[in-house]
Amino acid sequence: MSFIEVKNLQVSYGQTPVLKDLSVAFAPGKVTALIGPNGCGKSTLLKAIMGFLPVSSGQVLLGNREMEKIKRRELARQVAYLPQESHCPDYMTLGELIELAGYSRYSLVGGPSAKDRRLFGEALEIVGLKGMASRQVNALSGGQRQRAWIAMVLAQDTDIILMDEPVNHLDVKYQYAVLELVRSLSEEHGKTVILVLHDVNLTTAFADNVVMLNDGTLLASGPVSDVVNASNVGRTFDVEADIFDHAGRLVCLPRRSERTAVTA
Amino acid sequence: MRKAVPVFLAAMLILLCGFVANLSFGAGVWQFDAFFRAITQFDPTSYEQSVIVYQRMPRAMIAIYAGAMTAVSGMVLQGLIANPLAAPSTLGINAGAAFFVVAGALFFNLGLFAQGAAALAGGVCGFLTCFLVARLAGRVNDPRGLSLILSGALTSMFFAGLTSALLLADPGLRTQFLGWVSGNINHVYFERLGAFWWLGILCLTVLLAIVRPMTLIQLGPEKATSAGVNVRLIYVVALTATVIATASAVAVCGPIGFVGLVVPHMVRPLTGNHFARALPVSALFGASICLIADLIAREAFQPYVLHTGPLLDLLGGLLFVVIVKRFYLSNSVRAST
Repeated sequence: MSFIEVKNLQVSYGQTPVLKDLSVAFAPGKVTALIGPNGCGKSTLLKAIMGFLPVSSGQVLLGNREMEKIKRRELARQVAYLPQESHCPDYMTLGELIELAGYSRYSLVGGPSAKDRRLFGEALEIVGLKGMASRQVNALSGGQRQRAWIAMVLAQDTDIILMDEPVNHLDVKYQYAVLELVRSLSEEHGKTVILVLHDVNLTTAFADNVVMLNDGTLLASGPVSDVVNASNVGRTFDVEADIFDHAGRLVCLPRRSERTAVTA
Repeated sequence: MRKAVPVFLAAMLILLCGFVANLSFGAGVWQFDAFFRAITQFDPTSYEQSVIVYQRMPRAMIAIYAGAMTAVSGMVLQGLIANPLAAPSTLGINAGAAFFVVAGALFFNLGLFAQGAAALAGGVCGFLTCFLVARLAGRVNDPRGLSLILSGALTSMFFAGLTSALLLADPGLRTQFLGWVSGNINHVYFERLGAFWWLGILCLTVLLAIVRPMTLIQLGPEKATSAGVNVRLIYVVALTATVIATASAVAVCGPIGFVGLVVPHMVRPLTGNHFARALPVSALFGASICLIADLIAREAFQPYVLHTGPLLDLLGGLLFVVIVKRFYLSNSVRAST
């Protein structure tokens, strides 16, 4: 199974470097969380992988091929991407949205095959929106809408899925529901998932591996149990935090410090 | 999605009724009998039948062509630019085409066919001007296409001003073009339709071939790219096709303003935003509206014959108020849909 690897990646917005000589490999079949403070380059890394941003130097590899040399349609059959903010035009139905996901497999005049249609049904079923294909996307609730976008990503039928903050704007219940879903994608369907998260506790609960970024550089990466410790979390987020083991799950509790209180 | 087929059939039916009504109603009376005989066994010596075949039929064909092209262009532009005010008339395409035709006629004494070519060049030039002005104003971070709409308004005013100046400068030109500049469906322009109809059909075919990638672009360029769409290529192809389709309609009968702006807003609630369903229905609606407007312009103010363009502007102006209220002055709509 092919996997994504980033080698000595430099990305700048204008003169400001955002990613500085970053090298990291994403394990196939696993859920990897990118975490770090605001503006550390998590989203930039995903966008650079997708080829949305000009890369100053370095490489993004899919298997052993350079990603920017792969045609868009071919790439879309291997890697799917969920942006941080998704907007659906008014009146578009869930069914129409899902059907668009298969674009890279359709010919110019052809539409979805029987296999595609089966896949679309499964995608809706997995996210718990079965039988809602004729509903308008913008009429769904916030949690349903986010699951609709995830269904679209699933319907693209790729081995690798990139998600930029998939649980933003969701309440605790849906955060857990969506991440549980992400987890099952890797465990039951063998997908490689790379996702940006804000929360250390969500990371330890749902990710296999974690990549910690600060100011465009890699601070630590590896399995959650090896990497998530007080020192790494402290350096990544610039806070003092205690890490507990609670029934086999790591829990991160940032300390209140006078310094934070004063500056805030 | 299930509604798509009935909506399409209903739109076909409306177009057919509009077509029959446009041809059969004249001089204040219905002439179904003459219409029926004109299409089954045409008798050139009959005055009524001659009027139907040589005057109303060409008018109707022009109305169908101009309405369909303008409405489809408006639909594509509103979708791709992500702004409910986008249309050939608001992005400088119409004004540019009109200016080039009038300037060509004044300075180079262009003939009918060359005027059509000038309209095409002018439409492209108008849109490019609009695009460049928007670039200068910094269209880098403009997801709702607002700077494009504003620079379109600017560009349109600029070209319309130049056109007026030329028309005022030359009384002969004024008589010849005053009607055309405001959008005039008239059988004397049928020759131009004969020269340009294939361009519109070609553009329509191209647009129908890329309905899916165009729909994906409505989800945002990054989402579309990640789904396998070559966004830049689709933008270029789609915008070129819309500009040429619109300009070819302007070449035939002058700028028909509000159809391109208003029809998409009527169609979308019925078919949704997927271009595969919205484009064919837009074409049918645009054609029907132009047919009916042409009929009203011709008959409602007897003995005066109004031009179709100004009549559409009147109707469109009213609908425009509704659009502005719906999209710009009311926040509740978004929440309730």
